[in-house]
Amino acid sequence: MHELSLAMEVIELAQREADKNGVSRIREILIEVGDLSGVEADAFQSALELIVHGTILAEAELRISRTPGKGKCMKCNMEFEMNNRIDCCPKCLCLPSEISEGQEFRVLSMVVE
Amino acid sequence: MCDTCGCGNPDEFKIHGKENGQMANWRNGENQEHHHHDHEHEHDGHTHSHVHDHTPEKVISLNMDILSENNRLAERNRGYFEGKHVLALNLVSSPGSGKTTILEKTIHALIPSRKIFVIEGDQQTARDADRIEKSGAPAIQINTGSGCHLDAKMIHLALHKMEVDNQAILFIENVGNLVCPALFDLGEQKRVVVISVTEGDDKPLKYPYMFQSSNLCIINKTDLLPYVDFSVEAAIQYARQLNPDLEFILMSAKTGEGMNEWYTWLSKQ
Repeated sequence: MHELSLAMEVIELAQREADKNGVSRIREILIEVGDLSGVEADAFQSALELIVHGTILAEAELRISRTPGKGKCMKCNMEFEMNNRIDCCPKCLCLPSEISEGQEFRVLSMVVE
Repeated sequence: MCDTCGCGNPDEFKIHGKENGQMANWRNGENQEHHHHDHEHEHDGHTHSHVHDHTPEKVISLNMDILSENNRLAERNRGYFEGKHVLALNLVSSPGSGKTTILEKTIHALIPSRKIFVIEGDQQTARDADRIEKSGAPAIQINTGSGCHLDAKMIHLALHKMEVDNQAILFIENVGNLVCPALFDLGEQKRVVVISVTEGDDKPLKYPYMFQSSNLCIINKTDLLPYVDFSVEAAIQYARQLNPDLEFILMSAKTGEGMNEWYTWLSKQ
């Protein structure tokens, strides 16, 4: 259940940035979760909703933007859609592949007052 | 135009993100929706004041890695280790793969020629730290409670409680879990994943994050190979597909097989 730890990281990050910007209220927070980031977006959202009470994010709307995985074959360099980390190049049918997109896990922006 | 966030003029209002479909929607639509301003309408030749019915909002663009604080602390730990010429290794595995036994044997073999310190991570009890201390190395136990992994802050705090000598080896025995510890950099120089032959040989494919982020894979309990359906070749092949640079040591901490190879690996780091 590392999603709970990650939710706590988000609250701390939001509080730090709010302090830095002199913000008292966060209305929305936009978070990017890559499909290959190792974070289950649904579990993460539930975890965050569980623990936001009494924090700077208590009234914030949580928006999650998913980024699909993309890989690059280390043999033929072809880029292909990657649903999980062990997906093979569809042309060479072999691993290894380099993950080029989908590992992101970050706060993109906050709407504040 | 709103003088706080610039909404009403799409060219000036930007959130820097990826150009996928959802992001594009966010950039061009959503912020228009939640700002109930009256800017975008025809005036029919008359003028009137624009009254805002809420506190001005603004968008703070961050693009910050959520693990950035952990990664910052991990870099501090790494700098501390480098400054003291300490070799810090993060040992990860499923529960019961034999990490603590490997450490006990290693401590017996290498002390006193090499100083060894251990940070033990478990959800509960100090049993592992007690075992390590009996072997002759200072150990500190971190109980993560309900947590499933160690993080850089825990290591940072543990280092304040245990003075690690220069030139020493610091083994960090992570919580037995092949999932969560993969995401958390502790500041180690190398990550060592331990699997045992009583587990499936397809473990690397099932837990790719851990095998992709490790430098060395120890395949432990090889003395049990005659009794189990574990193919060493298959396990190595699966793991190398994911991580071509991964090194391997076949080991039985019980019989001593592979221990010399392990000590040689340690001395080369």
